[in-house]
Amino acid sequence: MHIYILRRLLLMIPTLLGITLVVFMVMAAAPGGISAQSLIEGMDLEPQAKKALEDYYNRRYGLDQPAPVQYLRWLNNVSPVGFTLDAEHRIDGFSLWKGSDLGTSFRYGRPVMDLLAERVPITLLLNLLSIPIIYVVAVAVGVRAATERGRPFDVGSSVVMLALWSIPTMLAGVLLIGFFASEQYWRWFPTAGLNRREALDMPFLPHWGALWDVLLLFGAMAAGAAAFLALSRWAPRRLRAGVAALVGAGLGYAMAAALPGGAGWGLQLLLAVALAGLFGAAGYTDFAGFRATLLGTLGVMLGAHFGAGWMGEGFVRGFLLDRLWHLVLPVLCLTYGGFAFLSKLTRSAVLENLLADYARTARAKGLAEGQVLWRHVFRNSLLPLITVSASLLPALLGGAVIVEAIFSIDGMGKLAVEAVQGRDRELVLSITLVSGLLTLASYLIADLCYAIADPRVSYD
Amino acid sequence: MTEAGVTVPAPQAVARRSYAARLAREVLVQWGARLGLAWIGLLVLAAVLAPWLANSHPLLLSEQGRVASPMLRFLTPGDVTLLAAFLAAVVLLPLHRLRLRTRLAAFAGATTLAGALAWAFVSPPPIAIYEQYRVNEAAGAYDWVVRAPIPYSPRDYLRDTGDTGLMAPLADAERAHWFGTDENGADVLSRMIHASRIALGIGFVATGIAMLIGVMIGGLMGYFSGVVDMIGMRLVEIFEAIPTLFLLLTFVAFFGRSLYLMMVIIGITAWPGFARYVRAEFLRLRQQDFVQAAIACGLPLRSVLFRHMLPNGVAPVLVAASFGVASAILAEAVLSFLGLGLVDEPSWGQMLNQAVQAAVFNWWMAVFPGGAIFLTVFAYNLVGESLRDAIDPYLKKTAT
Repeated sequence: MHIYILRRLLLMIPTLLGITLVVFMVMAAAPGGISAQSLIEGMDLEPQAKKALEDYYNRRYGLDQPAPVQYLRWLNNVSPVGFTLDAEHRIDGFSLWKGSDLGTSFRYGRPVMDLLAERVPITLLLNLLSIPIIYVVAVAVGVRAATERGRPFDVGSSVVMLALWSIPTMLAGVLLIGFFASEQYWRWFPTAGLNRREALDMPFLPHWGALWDVLLLFGAMAAGAAAFLALSRWAPRRLRAGVAALVGAGLGYAMAAALPGGAGWGLQLLLAVALAGLFGAAGYTDFAGFRATLLGTLGVMLGAHFGAGWMGEGFVRGFLLDRLWHLVLPVLCLTYGGFAFLSKLTRSAVLENLLADYARTARAKGLAEGQVLWRHVFRNSLLPLITVSASLLPALLGGAVIVEAIFSIDGMGKLAVEAVQGRDRELVLSITLVSGLLTLASYLIADLCYAIADPRVSYD
Repeated sequence: MTEAGVTVPAPQAVARRSYAARLAREVLVQWGARLGLAWIGLLVLAAVLAPWLANSHPLLLSEQGRVASPMLRFLTPGDVTLLAAFLAAVVLLPLHRLRLRTRLAAFAGATTLAGALAWAFVSPPPIAIYEQYRVNEAAGAYDWVVRAPIPYSPRDYLRDTGDTGLMAPLADAERAHWFGTDENGADVLSRMIHASRIALGIGFVATGIAMLIGVMIGGLMGYFSGVVDMIGMRLVEIFEAIPTLFLLLTFVAFFGRSLYLMMVIIGITAWPGFARYVRAEFLRLRQQDFVQAAIACGLPLRSVLFRHMLPNGVAPVLVAASFGVASAILAEAVLSFLGLGLVDEPSWGQMLNQAVQAAVFNWWMAVFPGGAIFLTVFAYNLVGESLRDAIDPYLKKTAT
C-alpha cells in the first residue's frame, strides 16, 4: 500500500509538469506572448519611464529570455530540489533543500504564495460545503428512483435533474442575486463578499442579551420543527398536504406583501398559489425522508422567524452566522448542477444490485424490503459513488470561477480570471499548479477510499 | 441536421442504415428527444431567417412609386451562404433513395458553391444607417413600407430616439420591444435571434473539432494499447486535470477574441472525453473476429480503424457529442459572461452579463437570454439522454 501511494505520488510529477507546460505553451505561443512590452502595453507612460519599467520587469523576471529558458527557470524556482542562483541569476550551486518559491505576482507585486494562501481556503470552503450537499440529495433521489423504476418519480426526477444540470450557473446566480439580494425585490441575502465589515469585529459565535432570549429562540425553532415533523410523520395524507399548502399560501402572500412598493393582487395570488403548490406537493409525496426534511426545515425557519421577532435587544449575529448567511446563495449555485450526474449514477448502481442474486436471496430469507435496500444493496452500490467523488472537484473548481465572479468572492477562481486578464505569468502558472495538484490529489484519495471500501481491491 | 442517423458516416450502407434507422426511431419515440429536437429546429430556423425576422431595414418599401428592398441590399455573404446551406439540407433530407454519402457530398458541394458565389457577388454597403427609415417614414417620404416582424437590427442602438437603453419589455407605448432593450438601447429579442447563430455555430464546430481529435487519439490508443495507450492516457489525464474553464480563459485572454478561435479552443479543450469513450470501445472491438479478419486481409491501418472499427464504436461518441454541444454552448456563454467573449457581436452570455449592473436588477436581461441558453442546453442534454437510453438497453426506463 505504501509503495503504491509512493508510486502514485511520483507519477503525479510528470502529469503536473505536463499541465504547467501546456498552460505555459499557451501563454508563450500567444501573439505578444509573455514579454515586458505586453505587460506595460496599456499604461500611459513617458517613453523613458516605459523603458525603465521594461528593464525592471526584464531584470526581475527574466522576461527577455527565450520561452524555454523562462519555463525551465520557473520550474527550477518551484521545485524544492534544484539549482541555487546568485544575485545575477547565474547558477552557483545545487541544493537538495532550497525550498520552492512560487515567485512574485506581476500585477499585485506580492509573493504568489501569500496570495494563494489567502484565496485557496475560500474556494476550498465553498467546495467542501457543496460536496456533502450534492451527495446527500443525489443519493436520496437516485436510490428512490431505482426502487421506483419506470414510475412517475423515476421519470420526473430524471427530467428535473437534467433540467437543473442544464441551468447555466450564471443564470442561477444572476436570478438569485436579482430576486433575493437586490433592493427591488426581496433583500434577504447580501449581494457580495463573504462577510460584512462589522462582522470582523464580532465574536465568533452569536450571543444574546439575555438567557431568556436564547431559550425563546431555540424553543420556537424546536416547537416549529416538532409540529411540522409530527405533521409529516403521523397526519393522514390529505391533512398534511392541506396544511402545508395553507402555510405555503400564507408565506406567498407575505412575500408579495413584503415587496418594496407593494404588489398587485395578481402577483400576490401567483406567489401564494406557487408556494401553496410547492409545499402542498412536499406534504403530499410519500417520499418520507424528503417530506420530513422539507417540512422540518420549514418548521425550523418559521420558528426562527417568530422567535427572532419576539426576542429582546442585544442580539449579536457573530462571525459564524454572518459567514453562513453570505454563503447560502453561492453554495446553492454550486450544488444544483451536480445532482444529475450523481443521482443517475446512484440509480444505475442500485438498480444493478437490486436485480442481483444476493438481493433475491436476502428477500427470500424474509428480510424486509427496507433492510434489503439499505443494509445489502445500498452498501454495495456505494463503490461507483466513491470513485466519481474525485471527478467532482475539477468541475466544482471550474464552477467556482463563475460563482466567485458573480458574488464577488475573493477566491481562487476570481484570482484566476484576474491573473489571465493581467497576463500574470507567475500567478497563472501557480494557479495551474495548485488546481492540478488538488485535482490529482483528489483522484488519489478516491482510489485509496475505493481500496478501503472494497476489500476485494488491493494495490499491493 | 442533428438527427442521429445523419451524422453517422455509412461506409457499408446495408448493415449501417438499419442500425442507424433503428437508433433514430428509438430516439424519436421519446418525448424528451422530440421536444429537444423541436427547440433546436426552431433555433436553426431563427438563425437562418434572422435577417427576415429582425431587421431595421424594411423588407420592402415604395418611395415615390419605386419599389425597393433595403433588407436584400444589406444581406451579408454569410446570410446568403447560411440560407443556401439550409435550403440544400431541406431539399436533400427527404431523398431517402440516395445514399447518405451522396447526400452529404451534395450538401457540402452546394454549400461551398453558394458560399463562393456569395462572397464573390454579394457586397452590402459598409455603413448602415438604421435611423433613416424611421425618420423618412415619419416625414412621409414612403408610400408604404413592409417591415420585419421585429423592426430592429441587433446593432440598431436607436440613436434617433434619445433613449439611454435598459428599458423594460413593452415599457414604451410607441415602440414595441417585446423583450426590452439592452444597455446600448438595442432590441433584446433581435439580438437574441441573431445570437442563435453564434450559439449553434459554436456548438457544432467546437464539438466537431473535439470529436475529430478525440476519435483520432482515442482510436490509436485503443487499437495499439501498450505504450501508445499509456502515453495517450497521460495526455488525457493532463488535459482533464486542468480545469477546462481555466484553460479556456487562458487561451482567450492571451490569444484575443474571435469567434473562430473560440470554436477551435473549445474544441481543443474538450477532446479528452471523446478519446476515453473511443478508446474503451476500440479496446473491446480489437478482440472481435471481424477486426481480426480485416487485419488478416492485410487492409491498411486507415481502413481497419475508420471503415471497420469506427462505425461499430460510434454510438457512445454520438452520446458524448450531444452532451458536448451543450457544454460548448455553455462554455461560450460563460466566456462572454466573464467579459472575455466577442465584443460587438450579439451573444446570449454577454447579454446575461448586463442583468445585474450597479445594484440594479434588470430582470428581462436575465430571464430571456438566460432562458435561451438554458433551453438550448437542456434540449441537447435531452437528446443526448434519449440517445444514451436507446443505445444502452440496460438503462432503459421501461421494466425489462
